[in-house]
Amino acid sequence: MNQRAPRKKIGGDVKGPLDYKDVETLMKFLGPQGQIVSRRRTGFQTQRQRELKKAIKRGRHLGLLPFVG
Amino acid sequence: MTERTAPTTDRHESKGETLTHTYEGMFLLDNEVVRKGWDEAKGLVTATLEKHGAQVQTARRWDERLLTYPIRGRRRATYLLTYFNAQGPEIENVRHDLDISEGVLRYLFLSVEEIPEAERGLSEAEGASDFVVPEPPTEDEPEPEPEAPAEEEAKAEGEPKAEAGAEEAKADEAKTEVKAEAEAAKPEEAAPEAAEAKPTETKDEEKAQ
Repeated sequence: MNQRAPRKKIGGDVKGPLDYKDVETLMKFLGPQGQIVSRRRTGFQTQRQRELKKAIKRGRHLGLLPFVG
Repeated sequence: MTERTAPTTDRHESKGETLTHTYEGMFLLDNEVVRKGWDEAKGLVTATLEKHGAQVQTARRWDERLLTYPIRGRRRATYLLTYFNAQGPEIENVRHDLDISEGVLRYLFLSVEEIPEAERGLSEAEGASDFVVPEPPTEDEPEPEPEAPAEEEAKAEGEPKAEAGAEEAKADEAKTEVKAEAEAAKPEEAAPEAAEAKPTETKDEEKAQ
């Protein structure tokens, strides 16, 4: 059987608290259309994914991160 | 029918005393206001906070950047980061004042445990007399490219060039070697001709004699 190797998780290299001011890091967790990537891709546990969601939404509110595109 | 009664304790109150919390406030300021003067723009926010009894601990310019989407028709804005102590119920009043304010495009309040150590230093540095706040660029001005990636690009571009240059140099060396060999071979080729030519001349000379 030819099995595809699992893709590397994005969140593996990100340590410490996720802050809305850290735009460069948060941009890694946005898809090409600006959507928050899933836990399957980030590799985060529930709480960490929730923390990511909050940080991204705060960044979006302040115009630091895009809603779309 | 039972009467609905108001809660006896507010979530901001503890034993009848209103609690004071530390807040982080990020404010998105209109560049038109910032152009008039940074102190005025900063004062717009700090005055609003102090009006409602907040104690501003630090306030500094965080950044000026291109917004990812236009807010109130503005494509660029300046961010002001503040840390202040305030009573919970007063935050609602501050929000109300900021909503009316034209100079503040957006704001965000977060309750924090403590003020980051670096913030005090950065805020004091901004208060120094020699600190100059750069004037915000115009709306149409393109976003300046970050320095670090540009250097990386230059390196990335430089490497192939250097390789190409080395290849060219090798090719030139090879050409010069070939030329040198050709030149070295020419006299040898020419020499037999000359050797062949000499006997003919002698033959002619003999004939003439």
